[in-house]
Amino acid sequence: MISGLVQILLFQGLGELLSKFAVPLVPGPVIGLIGLLGYLLAKRSIGASLELVAAAFSQHLGLLFVPAAVGVVVFLPQLRAQALAVVVALVVSVLLTMAVTALILKALAGSGKDAQ
Amino acid sequence: MHSSLPPIAEIWVYLSGSPLLALILTLTAYQVGMLTYEKSGRNPLANPVAIAVLIVAMAITAIDMPYPKYFEGAQFVHFLLGTATVSLAVPIYKGFNALSGRMLPLLAALLGGGVTSVASSVFLARLLGADPAIVGGFYAKSVTAPIAMGVAERIGTSPTLTAVFAVSTGILGAVLGRFVFDIVGVREWWQRGFAIGVAAHGIGTSRAFSVHPEAGAYASLAMGLHGVLGALLIPVFVSWFS
Repeated sequence: MISGLVQILLFQGLGELLSKFAVPLVPGPVIGLIGLLGYLLAKRSIGASLELVAAAFSQHLGLLFVPAAVGVVVFLPQLRAQALAVVVALVVSVLLTMAVTALILKALAGSGKDAQ
Repeated sequence: MHSSLPPIAEIWVYLSGSPLLALILTLTAYQVGMLTYEKSGRNPLANPVAIAVLIVAMAITAIDMPYPKYFEGAQFVHFLLGTATVSLAVPIYKGFNALSGRMLPLLAALLGGGVTSVASSVFLARLLGADPAIVGGFYAKSVTAPIAMGVAERIGTSPTLTAVFAVSTGILGAVLGRFVFDIVGVREWWQRGFAIGVAAHGIGTSRAFSVHPEAGAYASLAMGLHGVLGALLIPVFVSWFS
């Protein structure tokens, strides 16, 4: 558990440093993600400890969003005043995004299978 | 005997000054959300994150705790978002073999979905007369929240608002995904998983994992790829738009 967490934190730290001093356009955790991915691809295996930590994070990712999302209380008056625009934009956009993504996959995967 | 205990007000002052209260509140609310979700037979409408956010928002309003004060304590949970983002390398790595066989459809779907997400929300919000400050929150909303907040800072919009929209999008995607995929007739787990990961990032991915492991794996692959691509392309996209 600990060695997996150490690996992740090291890459996170490296990413934050690179983001701060070299490539300010890319957020630190994204650079860390790319770094860790490169490391895994070079090593060709995931340690059991790293696998455990990553599984724990992906299972309870939702919890980590709570503090930021509670920020909704700050924007409540503004959001209430423009509720229609906000709700329509959010709902329609997510429906369209899922439909478009799924349909592209279905169309291209089908044609890919035919070609093989 | 009673006098050995400090008055309740003193306990309260102590607790509300420490990060403990915000942490207890956040984790308990999430626990209640998870229990409700499990009890409901994992009904997408009983989304655990939505329930947790509702409970915490009502609680801090009831005890008159300002949001920045709450966040001071809850930041320890929030901090882990960055760490969780880095750990996405693991599901992406696992999905890499699948990616090499399905590279073209997955990347095309990712690009198509990503552009649809930004363009449709920004277009609709503007059409319906939302403030520019509110519209700004939509750009990164389909990207996983930690990355979305980083992108928001870089494009000069509110990270908090972006996070609120990102989380709402995640919840909506998790709730509505099943119906959308049934309507458009997409049945393969990997396709459903990938699509929900592109549109609804972490919360959609949690939902996908709880429905089917293959859907979950593809959802986290999609979330990770969308995060990386979004961080690189959304700032470019915004500069075209404005």
